[in-house]
Amino acid sequence: MTNLSTSAKITWCPKCYNFQILEGVKKVLERKIKSEKDRQKYAIVSGIGCHAKIFDYLNLNGINTLHGRVLPMCLGMKIARPDLTVIGFSGDGDAYAEGMEHLIHTARYNSNFKYIVHNNQVFALTVGQPTPTTEIGFKGKTIPQGVKLPPLNPIKLMLASGATFVARVFADSKQVEYVLKQALKHKGFAFIEVLQPCIIFHPDAGYKEKTYSLEKTKHDKSNFRQAWKKAEEFDYNTIKKIPVGIFYQTKKPVFEEVVK
Amino acid sequence: MRYNILFGGEAGQGPNILTHILGEALVNQGYYVFYARDYQSLIRRGHNFNVLTFSDKPINSNDGQIDILVALDENTKKIHKKDLIKKGIILDGKHENMYSAGRLFKILGLDFKILENKFKTLKRRFEENMKEAKEGYANAEKKFDLSPTSKNQNYFANGSQAVAQGAIKSGLDFYYAYPMTPATPVFIELAKQQTKNKFYTFELENEVAVINAAVGSSITGAKTMVGTSGGGFDLMTETFSLIGIANIPMVIYLAQRHGPATGAATYTGQEDLNTARHSGHGEFPKLVVAGGDPTELEELTSQAFYFSQKYKIPSIILSDKHLAESAYTSTTKAKITPSLKSTKLAKYNSKDTDKNQSATSRADMIKANVEKRLQKTIEIIKEAKKFNMYKVYGNKNSNNVIVSWGSPKGAILDAMKGITPCSSKMSDDLKKSSKGAILDATKDLDCKFVQILYIEPFPTEIKKELKGKNLILIENNATAQLGSLIAEKTGIFIENKNKILRYDGRPFLCDELKKEIVRRLG
Repeated sequence: MTNLSTSAKITWCPKCYNFQILEGVKKVLERKIKSEKDRQKYAIVSGIGCHAKIFDYLNLNGINTLHGRVLPMCLGMKIARPDLTVIGFSGDGDAYAEGMEHLIHTARYNSNFKYIVHNNQVFALTVGQPTPTTEIGFKGKTIPQGVKLPPLNPIKLMLASGATFVARVFADSKQVEYVLKQALKHKGFAFIEVLQPCIIFHPDAGYKEKTYSLEKTKHDKSNFRQAWKKAEEFDYNTIKKIPVGIFYQTKKPVFEEVVK
Repeated sequence: MRYNILFGGEAGQGPNILTHILGEALVNQGYYVFYARDYQSLIRRGHNFNVLTFSDKPINSNDGQIDILVALDENTKKIHKKDLIKKGIILDGKHENMYSAGRLFKILGLDFKILENKFKTLKRRFEENMKEAKEGYANAEKKFDLSPTSKNQNYFANGSQAVAQGAIKSGLDFYYAYPMTPATPVFIELAKQQTKNKFYTFELENEVAVINAAVGSSITGAKTMVGTSGGGFDLMTETFSLIGIANIPMVIYLAQRHGPATGAATYTGQEDLNTARHSGHGEFPKLVVAGGDPTELEELTSQAFYFSQKYKIPSIILSDKHLAESAYTSTTKAKITPSLKSTKLAKYNSKDTDKNQSATSRADMIKANVEKRLQKTIEIIKEAKKFNMYKVYGNKNSNNVIVSWGSPKGAILDAMKGITPCSSKMSDDLKKSSKGAILDATKDLDCKFVQILYIEPFPTEIKKELKGKNLILIENNATAQLGSLIAEKTGIFIENKNKILRYDGRPFLCDELKKEIVRRLG
């Protein structure tokens, strides 16, 4: 087991949920990476925002790229080096606002890399503006009247776009660990959304208590209709119950194997 | 000897294949051929035309005056008859395409066998093509005698094929693009050759994805290139900054067209010199080069790869619709500059980083990073001097100095040459242009031509070529962008009355340009 820690000083807020994500990711990768040779077979990409700092905290190659451009960057790496295990990290601003066009097409391409979206439903590093997944009524300095438009449901979007692995977890290291392990076994694009409250600008409104594990129900993750129904249970606006786990998994041709 | 043949018709009628068959045949006979395409942004109908110019001496441009008009539809005749010379020939009537080819071959005194051999290589429609061409050949009269002139081994290629060749010879691994005129021909050329040459081409969802996927490939060590035109280039520029700060090799092909915005999408212009120079926010080194013919483009493409790999910078190759889609007869083989791969997978960052490649905002680190980039710029300037950053043609001691860049080169070189044989009308026209000054139209113009190939870094030493001379600037834009750059870099200003600027989406024509130059000779 290799230590993937770096000497970089961690600048997330104390008790930030990003620590949970980092811990979960580290646990999975440190178990897989046993040597320097192994380490060279992995690459990570992050965008811009609080999530992106994870790039400095993992001793892995890759790029901390521009806002919204994580996905094409991962794709380009996989095209050139199909043997690399590539994991992309984004925030909700990266994934659903600035880089939305890439998200839809990446789901369609089905390149064999993994994608973790740290969704805190707010632009945190720019001190609290709404994102496409912010709930109605959210108020901030740039939107004193409150958000009026309903949020996007990324799980439904990914299902509709043809993603072959669609999952959502809460920002708890064990949940992250579990789902990333499954995603790495999946051959194709894996979309993982992590519901990650921002302790400063978008505190947990009771998400954790409302979540329930799909794995503990009779949910058939190969059934698209069931996945769609489960996706509709939480609209990112009103909290009733929040299913977490793998919504959908299927097999499709992998981009870098079919296009060359 | 210099003749112009215009082929016109509706889109889909096939003036392109006709032009290309004749061009190839003439080049194989030892003649020099240049043809340009004028086409509209539509798939069928409309009016498209090509002008093919040929000579027994090197040429690189068209004239406005036409000797032979091949009208595949009535509209062509209506539009272009005014440009036909007095004794000009019109080939019209409702005929199949290859009927016209047969007629032309007969008129020009070309061996029918050449046409037959060409049809064999086309593979399809052989019988039909032969039948049509034979009919046309029988129904025409020989007016020229274009027998083989010499055993010249000349190359017939357009600017796009040259860029593709330059990239392949430089060891291209990946080419990413989104379709956009006039950059797409390079994409097509590379796509055609990809598997046999073991590189790959990809079309992604937009230019933003294109440049970012290219960066993803490049940081794994692959030689990567993207191609686009103005609008797509604008979309990519955000990522040039990332390339600049993270030290990533990248080659960008920018085929200019008339803008702003959609402008006239299938027409030419040199309007993006400043866009290329200033692309990407922040301060970082980059290379911007501009070729004036296919051979130069091929050489500059290899130099773009060389600089991008060695200095880990974005290298921009400037071309335009006229150069990208016109066919030239090249007499020399391009000199390729080989480049080594310089990048391997490591930690790259869009942020300022410290020695551990972690993000930092420390003042001393920021300053050190900036100074590293400044140092790189100095080294690039030094190394660029080993290459032809500019070229000089014509009378090196002349008091008249023409300055230009990119595709106008062809028309300028041709306009500088004396006209033989010269009609008295042409001679009078030129005399009129030169305000009565005595001018022998059969002699070369008394002028020097300085062609700038390196835009960034800029060859400031051209100062010695320009200082104190009667300067004439020629550009395919309205604001004299090279003129401003020369002023910025050398302190030399070119008078407004000596700026020959064309900005109607059309390229310079040799005969018209000659009059404009003559008017300004000192």
